[in-house]
Amino acid sequence: MNKLIPISPTTQAANALSNDWDDLSDTGDARSERVRATWSDGLFFIALAMGAGFALTRFSSAMDYYEQIILCLTVPLLTWLGWLWRPLRGLMISAGLAAGLALWLYQGDIGNAEKAFLLKYLLSSQSAILWMCALFVLATICYWVGIVSDTAAWLGTALTWGAVFAGVTGMLVRWREGHLLGADIGHIPVSNLYEVFVLFSLITAVFYLFYERRYNTRALGGFVLLVITSAVIFLLWYAFTRDAAQIQPLVPALKSWWMKIHVPANFIGYGTFSLAAMVGFAYLVKQHSQTKSWLKLLPLFILGVLLAGEPMVFRTQGLSATWMLYFGLGALIVGAILLFRRPIAARLPSLEVLDDIMYRAIAVGFAFFTVATILGALWAADAWGAYWQWDPKETWALIVWLNYAAWLHLRLMKGLRGTLAAYWALVGLLVTGFAFLGVNMFLSGLHSYGAL
Amino acid sequence: MRFAISLLVFICLASLIGTVLPQNRSAANYIDQFGPFWFEVLDKFALWHIYNSAWFLITMAFLVTSTSLCLIRNAPKMLKDARSFRDTIRASSLRSFHHKHELNSTRTVASAAGAMHAWLSKQGYAVRQRQDGDSILLAAKRGSGNRLGYIFAHAAIVIICVGGLLDSELPVRLQVLLLGKTPITENMLIADVPAAGRLSISNPSFRANVLIPEGGERSAAIVNVDDGALVQALPFTLKLKKFIVDFYSTGMPSRFVSQVEVIDQQDDKKFDAIIEVNEPLRYKGVTVYQSSFDDGGSSVELTGYPLSGPTDLSFELQGKVGQTNDVALGASGKSIKVEVTKLRPFNVEDLTAGEPAPPKAMAEHVASVTGSAAGKKNTNLRNVGPSVEYRLIDQNGQSLLFHNYMVPVELDGALVLLAGVNDGGGFRYLRIPADEQGSVQEFMRLRAALADPQVRQLAVQRFVAAYGGTMAEQQALKLSSERALETFATGGLQAISKFLETNVPPAEQARAADIVIRLLGSTMTEVRNIARERAGQPSLENTPELLERNMVWSRLAVAALSDLKLYPAPMMFTLKGFEQVQASIFQVSRTPGKNIVYLGCLFLVFGIFTMFYVRDRRIWVWLKPQADEGNTHVLAAMTSQKRTLDFNREFDRFKQAMNRLGSTEGKSAS
Repeated sequence: MNKLIPISPTTQAANALSNDWDDLSDTGDARSERVRATWSDGLFFIALAMGAGFALTRFSSAMDYYEQIILCLTVPLLTWLGWLWRPLRGLMISAGLAAGLALWLYQGDIGNAEKAFLLKYLLSSQSAILWMCALFVLATICYWVGIVSDTAAWLGTALTWGAVFAGVTGMLVRWREGHLLGADIGHIPVSNLYEVFVLFSLITAVFYLFYERRYNTRALGGFVLLVITSAVIFLLWYAFTRDAAQIQPLVPALKSWWMKIHVPANFIGYGTFSLAAMVGFAYLVKQHSQTKSWLKLLPLFILGVLLAGEPMVFRTQGLSATWMLYFGLGALIVGAILLFRRPIAARLPSLEVLDDIMYRAIAVGFAFFTVATILGALWAADAWGAYWQWDPKETWALIVWLNYAAWLHLRLMKGLRGTLAAYWALVGLLVTGFAFLGVNMFLSGLHSYGAL
Repeated sequence: MRFAISLLVFICLASLIGTVLPQNRSAANYIDQFGPFWFEVLDKFALWHIYNSAWFLITMAFLVTSTSLCLIRNAPKMLKDARSFRDTIRASSLRSFHHKHELNSTRTVASAAGAMHAWLSKQGYAVRQRQDGDSILLAAKRGSGNRLGYIFAHAAIVIICVGGLLDSELPVRLQVLLLGKTPITENMLIADVPAAGRLSISNPSFRANVLIPEGGERSAAIVNVDDGALVQALPFTLKLKKFIVDFYSTGMPSRFVSQVEVIDQQDDKKFDAIIEVNEPLRYKGVTVYQSSFDDGGSSVELTGYPLSGPTDLSFELQGKVGQTNDVALGASGKSIKVEVTKLRPFNVEDLTAGEPAPPKAMAEHVASVTGSAAGKKNTNLRNVGPSVEYRLIDQNGQSLLFHNYMVPVELDGALVLLAGVNDGGGFRYLRIPADEQGSVQEFMRLRAALADPQVRQLAVQRFVAAYGGTMAEQQALKLSSERALETFATGGLQAISKFLETNVPPAEQARAADIVIRLLGSTMTEVRNIARERAGQPSLENTPELLERNMVWSRLAVAALSDLKLYPAPMMFTLKGFEQVQASIFQVSRTPGKNIVYLGCLFLVFGIFTMFYVRDRRIWVWLKPQADEGNTHVLAAMTSQKRTLDFNREFDRFKQAMNRLGSTEGKSAS
């Protein structure tokens, strides 16, 4: 069952080792709940620890006490993640090596980005992120073609992994580039709308890949990658028209070690909520696969188009042709998905599985969103003098939190399942989208770092 | 619970309104926006400060009460249930479970029970075994801590709300309501504030602001309540030694730092501290945050230039930011008020603003975003030096805001001084050509000279004389240039174009305008020379390299003189010198609920992770000897609060294990 999974050197081995009756999980990982850590985990830990040690000795001046603690804690955390899901180790090692190569090519001079071939076309942060964008779009197409061809679906997975690799490399290199620009300019690349959009795409993709393997289905790839593609389109537009990609120094309020944990935790929430919404969409498509009446599909169509249109609100002046095209394309794609609902539904896993993925994603997202909001409150107490002051972003975070709290509450207590849960998850993405972007555009407040 | 959910939805909607409607603005602001009628209506619902309104707080109180009741009612039951093995269950009721499994084992009851007990223990279950006649019941549970998750998560909501309430405006408002504190609404010195306007030094909860100029010290802060303010005494004195703003190379501020001295009279202690954004000072239960900064009364030296009259009567004016000076308007007996509103020692401006960049082709777009993420734009950002902002208030109380830069900036290749005026729609800038000293003085002398009819006459004479030609030509030239200069001096370029429109046939207007402008340029050069002579300066040299510069200067001067006709003030002030005194604005607060809220947050995180990731499962195995000796009938059931796919999978695993254990002769389950 694992023959289609590309990056899984450990999978077969783990399969062979596993107990015959103890293992019934159909995760691609082929491990039941817990396996013992092997020597490879130890090696990985040592490699990470050496990397951290290098950073601590070499760049200690760029970090304060808390940041050094965060760096040290990252080592066991990443080891644990790599142990939880082995393919992550491959990703971390390869992206780490690629970023290391890029740093070596830079030789401490930012100008080398124009001279060294590999940097210019592959490894410098902007090039790597552009590769990520291209690969994500290609992967989306492959996943959709994958409805009729297994090879294309396999390619979709491979391309998604490639995109994640390129994106992670790009972010790592970007971090270093900031420091090459000037000692006081460099910072972790999660400080503005451009950087967090990359982060969002990466986290959503990684979570998707995890579920893809765990539930052994590629049919959801097309759905989830639609969200990533629209994030990518926005990213490109933002980079091309607003020069958003360049590294800016931090405003004083953001100069804090809290940023390193608050922002990533938040985007685990945003990423998994989006994933859940797209799985909810798939759920509804499957459920309506036998429906003949377009009237019943109408709410789904409208919701889909609304979601596709959400980035449209970014235009500040008029309806440009590009965005009209984007909107039309969005409507077309949603329409096409609904039109071909029968073959798509046949490919999708059972409703029960979709429901389960939705629940898991929302649960993970909710837990991290809670942590992120609390971390944000702790940070605000230091930066703004109050842990909570009803700033629009804070208030919207609360609204998002309450929305998913109610969803989970009804599910756990009242056994909420099926259509309503799926519609709610979809609407949840609209709410999350507004909290993520709308607040930055329409409402002024303290969180105006991501302003357009 | 339905009640709690509706309350949550209600709170969501209310908060939503609060984010859309800007909060805590002045009443006038809202009247402007909604009109008096709707203002009255919406004011009834306190929509301007929703989060502190009575109805919002009451809803929160309801939420807290309802959650507490729910918790008090359910927590003991949950805890008891979590502890219980439910081993009193009957065999028959196991059959009604959805997840159940039956098999016949060839083992004896004791051996099968032992094997299953061992397997369950190995899987992490707590097992209780009960003998019931010949039969054995194994009751096993795992992950009952899950229930703690619910309790902690719900307790957290109550704790957070209570803690938050302690830190809200409520304690101060209660003191206003119950202890007779009255917020001060008029301007008065802090020392004059009566006891009713002061909050006790031991006030447990407040959030106040204090502005301290450099060198100043304060031991009281201001708490804003509605439209008034209360004075909050602090348990120590804060002295601002210096306020520093650091900048990045791009001109963006990188740090706001206050160097303060804390003087504690009670304990007779003194120490220095640094307060900056993200690094507050915590002392004696009070937290001091760097919240903003302002001018602390900088002194400025201004030079005033009257903008009318034939003589250059510039004068000096000493001012302070925030102060108003009276300036007499010539001999008319009238005066005008000058209020210096702002001094900016740095101005980082993008001087290409307003000129859109040429559109790029797609290929260029792509090329421009590959490579490193180093900045490529903002090369036009520059520090253009200090500037002063002032307000002129005439005798009718009409006021206008002005913004003038101290040093010239280079625009289109020439050095100009920017003098901005804001008549409602943002600042528009007059470009005054700078003289050799980088000041507006020569321009102002030129203005005065132009306003003098004798100078104008002299200038025309000199120009005509230098031109040569016949007597008739000279006469014609004199006439035209006199008229051109006269028209310009009274009405600027607008007047000239109006004159041409009315007196010259349309076909010849372009040619005539060309001639007039040239006449004007030449005569103005003479006016400039006369002005220079009067000021004791040498005449302009017309060497080739200087000629170009002088021409540009004259062109700019003509444009500026013309624009000056539209300048809405009788005088202009330029910044000659300044001494900056900054002030730091701190937020001081005492938040007794903070640690309570943090504890609540800890509970919440613990509760949520426990709820999601500790899965509770229960298994019962009923082993009954069968009629044929040595065989056992096994009936098992499994249940969980959350019947997810994982649970189904686990049940399958359990069934397989049972089958194995049931059929394996005498072997242990390991």
